[in-house]
Amino acid sequence: MHLIVITPEGELYNEEVDYIVVSASGLGEFAIMKDHAPLISAIEVGHVKMVKGDDHVFTVVINGALEHQSNTIHILAQEAHVGLEKESAMEHLNEARKERLEENRRRTMDFLEAERELKKNIREARASKR
Amino acid sequence: MKSMRDIKKRMNATEKTSQITKAMHMVSAAKLKKAERAIHAFRPLTEKFSRVLSRVFAGGGDISHPMLEGREVHKVLYILVASDRGLAGPFNNRLFKAFDEHVKANHPDKEEFEVAALGFKAYHFAKRRDYPLIHEDVIQMRDDVQFVDFQSLSDRFVKGYLSGSFDQVEVFYNHFVNTLTQDVKHQTLLPLEASPFIASEEENGEGTYKNIYYYEPDAKTVLFQLLPMYVVHILYGMILESKASEHAARMMAMKSATDNAKELIKDLKLHYNRARQSAITIELTDIIGGAEAVK
Repeated sequence: MHLIVITPEGELYNEEVDYIVVSASGLGEFAIMKDHAPLISAIEVGHVKMVKGDDHVFTVVINGALEHQSNTIHILAQEAHVGLEKESAMEHLNEARKERLEENRRRTMDFLEAERELKKNIREARASKR
Repeated sequence: MKSMRDIKKRMNATEKTSQITKAMHMVSAAKLKKAERAIHAFRPLTEKFSRVLSRVFAGGGDISHPMLEGREVHKVLYILVASDRGLAGPFNNRLFKAFDEHVKANHPDKEEFEVAALGFKAYHFAKRRDYPLIHEDVIQMRDDVQFVDFQSLSDRFVKGYLSGSFDQVEVFYNHFVNTLTQDVKHQTLLPLEASPFIASEEENGEGTYKNIYYYEPDAKTVLFQLLPMYVVHILYGMILESKASEHAARMMAMKSATDNAKELIKDLKLHYNRARQSAITIELTDIIGGAEAVK
C-alpha cells in the first residue's frame, strides 16, 4: 500500500506502508488496510499512524483531506508534521505554530518601530534643509 | 557651475545608492526564483484537492452548501493582497488604485463592504482611506508565507460568510504573468463556482466504471469540512502569485534604478571632467598671465 502526504511545500512523505490508522476530531479512529474500498475523508485536526512491519510513525495533520483508492492513499494537508509519537509530533507542530505567530508579532513591533524611526529621520533631515 | 568637490561627493553618493539597488535587485531575483518554486510545489496539492472535491460531487448525490450558492449581496468582503515592504515599483499602488476605482464605482456607502488587508502596505492603505477593516492587527505577508500567518483571517471570513455577515468575498491581488508583466486581478472567492468540479468529473469518467467512494463519516460532513479548506487553498495560491509578482516588480524597479544611477554617474562624470578641465585652464591662464607680467 502506498502512502503519499502532500503539503504546500511539496511531498512530505512517499512510502510503502502496511496499514494506517486515522484519528481525527469528530471522527474517532479508523484503519485503512490493504484492499480497502475507495474512501474519502476530511481531517480538520488529527493524526495518522502509519505502520510498516513493527515500526510506526505518526503524522499530525491540520486541515487535510484523505483519499484512498486502489491501494494508494493521498493525504492533502495544509500543515503536517511527522514524529515518532503522536504527542511529540502534535506538540512539535503546535509549538512551531505558536512560535511562528509569536515571531510575526515581534516582527510587527520591530517593523512599526523601524518605520517610526524612519519617519522621524526624514522629518529631521527636512528640517535641516530649511 | 558646481565645484569639483560637490560633483565628486554626488558621484560617490550615487555610486553607493546604485550598489544598494544592485544588491536589492539580486536579492529579489533569488527570492523570485524561490517564490516560483513555491508556486510549482503548491500546484499538485491544488490539483489533487479539486480532484477529491469533484469525486465528492460526483458520488455524493445532490449536495448543496452555502458556499456554492450565490445569494443577494448586501455586504462584500474585499481581501487585498499586498506586500510588507515598498520599493517594488508600481506593485502596491497599482493594486490600491484598482481597488479605489472599484469602490468608487460600486460602493458609495462604506457600510456596504469591509476590507481585509494582507501585508503592512495594504493595512496602512486601508487605515489611511478609513475603510472598515475586519481585523485589528497587521497581517504580515512574509516571503515564506504559511497558512498559519493568515489563519486568523481565513477563519474569520469563512465563518463570516457562513453566518451571513458577508454575502460575497472578493480578492484583489497581483497576478504573475512573467517577470516583466504582472497585472491586478479581481476575483470572486466566495461563493464558489461549482461547475469546474462537475465538468472535470465528466472528463475523466472514462465510461468503463465509476469509483464509488465511502465517506467517513458521510458525504455531507466531508464536503462541509473540505470546502472551507479548499477556499483557503485558493486564497493561498493567490498569495503565492502575489508574492512572485512582488519580487518580480521589485527586481524590475531595482534594475531600472541601478540603470538610472549608472546614467546619472556618467552625466556627473562628464560635468566633473569639464569642471576639472576648466580649473586647469584657469590655473594655466593664471601662470601664463603671471609669466607675461614678469617679462
